[in-house]
Amino acid sequence: MSYWRAAGLNYVNYSNIAAKIVRRVLKPELQSNASKRDETHVKFTPWIKGKPAKPGQQ
Amino acid sequence: MMMFTKPTMVVCLKGAFTGQQNRSMATLKQIQMRLKSVTNIQKITQSMKMVSAAKYARAERELRQARPYGEGVKAFFEKSGATETLEGAVENKLIVAITSDRGLCGAVHTNVAKTIRNELSLEAPDAGTKVFCVGDKSRALLQRLYSDNIAVVANEVGRKPPTFLDASKVANQLVQLDYNSGKIIYNRFKSVVSYQTEEVPLLSVKTMLAAPKLQTYDSIDESVMESYQEFTVAALLYYTMKQSACSEQSSRMTAMDNASKNAGEMIGKLTLTFNRTRQAVITRELIEIISGAAALE
Repeated sequence: MSYWRAAGLNYVNYSNIAAKIVRRVLKPELQSNASKRDETHVKFTPWIKGKPAKPGQQ
Repeated sequence: MMMFTKPTMVVCLKGAFTGQQNRSMATLKQIQMRLKSVTNIQKITQSMKMVSAAKYARAERELRQARPYGEGVKAFFEKSGATETLEGAVENKLIVAITSDRGLCGAVHTNVAKTIRNELSLEAPDAGTKVFCVGDKSRALLQRLYSDNIAVVANEVGRKPPTFLDASKVANQLVQLDYNSGKIIYNRFKSVVSYQTEEVPLLSVKTMLAAPKLQTYDSIDESVMESYQEFTVAALLYYTMKQSACSEQSSRMTAMDNASKNAGEMIGKLTLTFNRTRQAVITRELIEIISGAAALE
């Protein structure tokens, strides 16, 4: 078992963290472009029995 | 201001002139207003077209980069022969609808919703199939009939091009829902003028490990497969989101182009009617003046 899975991460989380670190150490001219790929806006609303529950939850 | 002057105009004209005169005068005004609003609408649709053309160019460029993600996973599914074993009625199905928050783009979202509606209508009412709506549009379209099936709604999609981080967030949400058999419904971008609603399966680790031709691939053990399965979900989501964003923009471009064309046609017709009516009014007034003068002599 890999150390990151032992820490409770799955592969996607692990690779996203790795990608974030790589973006952070890029040269400044590349960094501004790469930082655009570093943002998300998606919001999630779980639905229970056909009604949205607790809006704005992550 | 126009709105307020219009009714009073009509009223005082009614008092001053006879029926025929009054109507043509009012229509002249009405046609003018109509013409103005149609011209404004045309301006809006034209600029929307320009905006979506620029966005489309970007989406297409980004899609080209995102394609390997999805194609790779699809190739793996195909080469290893990993398919869902459908023994009887599968319970706990999950359907992911890839749409966006934005409308005015032809039938892209409707097609996705229609595919899902067809699927759900074939099922037993207590099958409990879950629907994950990515984008407000699919929610709005499915809410009325199948609100019980909606499990999670993701919004704020489509304002900006989707990133891999978006896809992985959605993937993390998917992991939390337990399902036996899943699939993604999305619009595959074919060319500027066409797209096709398609689906890709979301396979579980078990199905992938049980694939008949897994020997094609080297050094695969359970932990590698587990990681790969997690990655496939995110990668497929990223790929489908990009595909659907691209189809959406191209479809919006066509829709807005058509709208501008239709508005242009309408403007032509309205201008013609406007000029005719104006001419008729002028002629009538001239006749009235001349005949009035003749009566006085």
